[in-house]
Amino acid sequence: MSWRSKLSHVFQELRIHLCQTSPSSTPTREFITRNYMDLKALNPTLPILIRECSGVQPRLWARYDYGVERSVPLDGLTAHEIDVKLEELVRKGVPDR
Amino acid sequence: MATTSGRRSAKLLQRIATLTPRLKPRPAVAACDWNPKSLQFWRCLHHGGDGVLLVPDVGRERKTSGSRQLASEGGRLPSSSASGGLRFATSAALPAVGAKVAKAEEMIEVSVDGQSVQIPKGMTVLQACELVGVSIPRFCYHSRLSIAGNCRMCLVEVEKTPKPVASCAMPALPGMKIKTDTPLCKKAREGVMEFLLLNHPLDCPICDQGGECDLQDQSMVFGSDRGRFTETKRTVLDKNLGPLVKTIMTRCIQCTRCVRFAKEIAGVEDLGVLGRGGSEEIGTYVENLMTSELSGNVIDVCPVGALTSKPYAFTARSWELKSTESIDVTDAVGSNIRVDSRGPEVMRILPRLHEEVNEEWISDKARFSYDGLKRQRLSEPMIRRPDGRLEAVSWHDALEAVAEAAHQVKPEEMAGIAGKLSDAESMMALKDFLNKMGCERIWSEGDGKSANVDMRSSFLLNTGIASLEYADLCLLVGTQLRWEAPLVNARLRKAVRSSRAKVASIGPPTDLNYPHQHLGTGTETLIRIAEGRHPFCAEFGRAERPAVIVGSGLLEHSDKSAVMAAVEMIVKHGNAVRDDWNGFNTILLNAAQAGARDLGLVQGARAGNKEIKFLYLLGADELTPADIPADSFVVYQGHHGDRSAYRADVILPGTVYTEKEGTYENTEGLTQQTSPAVPTVGDSRDDWKIIRALSEIAGVRLPYDTANGLRARMLAVSPNLLRIDDLEPPSDFSFTLKNQFPSTVALSSFPKAVENFYMTDSITRASRTMAQCTAAFFGKRE
Repeated sequence: MSWRSKLSHVFQELRIHLCQTSPSSTPTREFITRNYMDLKALNPTLPILIRECSGVQPRLWARYDYGVERSVPLDGLTAHEIDVKLEELVRKGVPDR
Repeated sequence: MATTSGRRSAKLLQRIATLTPRLKPRPAVAACDWNPKSLQFWRCLHHGGDGVLLVPDVGRERKTSGSRQLASEGGRLPSSSASGGLRFATSAALPAVGAKVAKAEEMIEVSVDGQSVQIPKGMTVLQACELVGVSIPRFCYHSRLSIAGNCRMCLVEVEKTPKPVASCAMPALPGMKIKTDTPLCKKAREGVMEFLLLNHPLDCPICDQGGECDLQDQSMVFGSDRGRFTETKRTVLDKNLGPLVKTIMTRCIQCTRCVRFAKEIAGVEDLGVLGRGGSEEIGTYVENLMTSELSGNVIDVCPVGALTSKPYAFTARSWELKSTESIDVTDAVGSNIRVDSRGPEVMRILPRLHEEVNEEWISDKARFSYDGLKRQRLSEPMIRRPDGRLEAVSWHDALEAVAEAAHQVKPEEMAGIAGKLSDAESMMALKDFLNKMGCERIWSEGDGKSANVDMRSSFLLNTGIASLEYADLCLLVGTQLRWEAPLVNARLRKAVRSSRAKVASIGPPTDLNYPHQHLGTGTETLIRIAEGRHPFCAEFGRAERPAVIVGSGLLEHSDKSAVMAAVEMIVKHGNAVRDDWNGFNTILLNAAQAGARDLGLVQGARAGNKEIKFLYLLGADELTPADIPADSFVVYQGHHGDRSAYRADVILPGTVYTEKEGTYENTEGLTQQTSPAVPTVGDSRDDWKIIRALSEIAGVRLPYDTANGLRARMLAVSPNLLRIDDLEPPSDFSFTLKNQFPSTVALSSFPKAVENFYMTDSITRASRTMAQCTAAFFGKRE
């Protein structure tokens, strides 16, 4: 997937928030287990922070240049849908300041 | 103090009650809940009448660890009727280290003062009484040390025994009827008290322990009003234990708590009892100093003024001091402390009880480095003029100078470094500010520029400090645990002592205070173990709960990825990471490191590595001037005029941990907050506020104005930083997701991460006491 190698061109940092145990975060955990290795191998300089905390709703945060951030709630999405969302974010590109 | 007439004693107690409003029950108890050094504690017993004692609660709810739950299952807790909110603290009732604790089926019934209670088998009479709420006076008994039974103050009457029994040593048997307030008990206590005071000098006015002395308190409540001793009291020569512990051995009542502490908890067999009977003396005999890093805790365990704090000597009385609960930042353990201050000055630092982190102990660095808070403090913003001198200016001018310099360089040429003692709030503000300016180069001291902080489990102590006690095999890789995190070492020592855990270390040879195997010094040994060619592998494979602790000093090592891959292999083969047990740990060195990693203080994806022309140091002092390019503009925001201030072009004075409410995460991931104990010095401001003001002047205003706003922002970055006092365990994805083993590895020894234990950051380097310790102890250690 060519968009996967473009992550570090678009984002400065990716953060994924999830809960350690709740079922609403299970797809997110699946997504991480399946995709983290590839994403990291293709984008070694991109920090992909996985931050777990009990009771939080799963969210994906993307940080661009100049501190601009976008966040996508991942509640209710399957692992594949999360993948699609990430691709969307990559294709949307850098937001206007 | 010991001899007051019977008629006046009731009036005296009333006077004391009015004179000491500070002794009301308050969250931070003096030493610890089972042996509080406050008259209030013993007064309750006197006025109680029915013998039921209500002990002040220790503070916020702690997550119950396994042993605490057991204790609370055991007894009926008294209702908190009369004293509005006083609860019984159960940690006093824990059996001593190494005692086998019975399961729920093995409960026995005893009766204490007529009240019957179910207690676990194996508890002593004293512990059984504690469960009911009756606190028995004692001097030599300490819940975390072995039982001595030599003070005899805990004598209680048990039905059908010919003599009163030492309740601290007597195991409670089923059907025992224990009576603690009979005339015989009272007579026994008066007698013991009289004997203790026989040879005790009349030092109360000049003794530092006055006001928080067990002997004073217990003699007021349990002692008789007159003594019969008319001979000459014996005196004992003082011993020199070093620059930290002051000894006035005449006051010693030979309870041997210090001897047992040094032997069992600290692991140094320095102290011993010499002589017999009336000529007993506690000392080292061979004129040794107490070199242990936990030596200051003997000051807390000593019930009288024999062992006191030398730096604190003659400076204050306990009732003048205002206590504030806070967290220690001199290392990454996050020990809970109580900062005692008088006015604007911190007078002393004492430990606070936290079962899961530091129990009741703190390291010497945490306890004695407070005098560095007064020296070399930056109190005004300064700008370096062209002639090289620093000139004090107003905040506006200083911030304008910084903003101007920041706009003159390109964003790729800016960088920020967070220091060892930075709190999460200021690091968040710094990151946000620099990111808004377009700068992606920010990192934390001690982490290196390109640390991988993606998975929390890769940089935290996953086992948890408290659960390390249950490990049966521990491999230390590249860490001198004793100097990097003394309290984690004390926990491991507990595991070694109580369950015969085995510890092996790879790295510089250290004396760890417990028997351990030194397998090798560097990568060669580690790789041999990882490949299975070392005899240790068999042991590791057999262990049920193995733990590996990797020092974070290794992360600056050149062969970092090889080391981590080898450790990963070892962990996998030993099955150290499973659902019920995560044995892979990293021990961090600084208080700011875990917070920095959680906030993602690493370089962004496209940070580049152009030469740095603008450097923002948030209290970062480990850089030598050689590390900083000669023509770069350096802004130093910190509290001490340490190394980096000499190179700084603009100095912005910030606050220390005793002056601010800052969030710190410890090495196991527990988020804790400090509280301001003293006002700020001079014109200094909170770190995050300085950055917020700077952002406004620089035109990139940060979106938060208040601490709550900043914390809401932190929630968006790393939500566990808002869960104060709550351990958020990291999930373990990490072991399926790491690097591959590289083909060539340079064989090298692991370096020492801490050269001088007593001077590791700007506060300790400014402290006179730490300098004395370095001079006294440094040469004596390896």
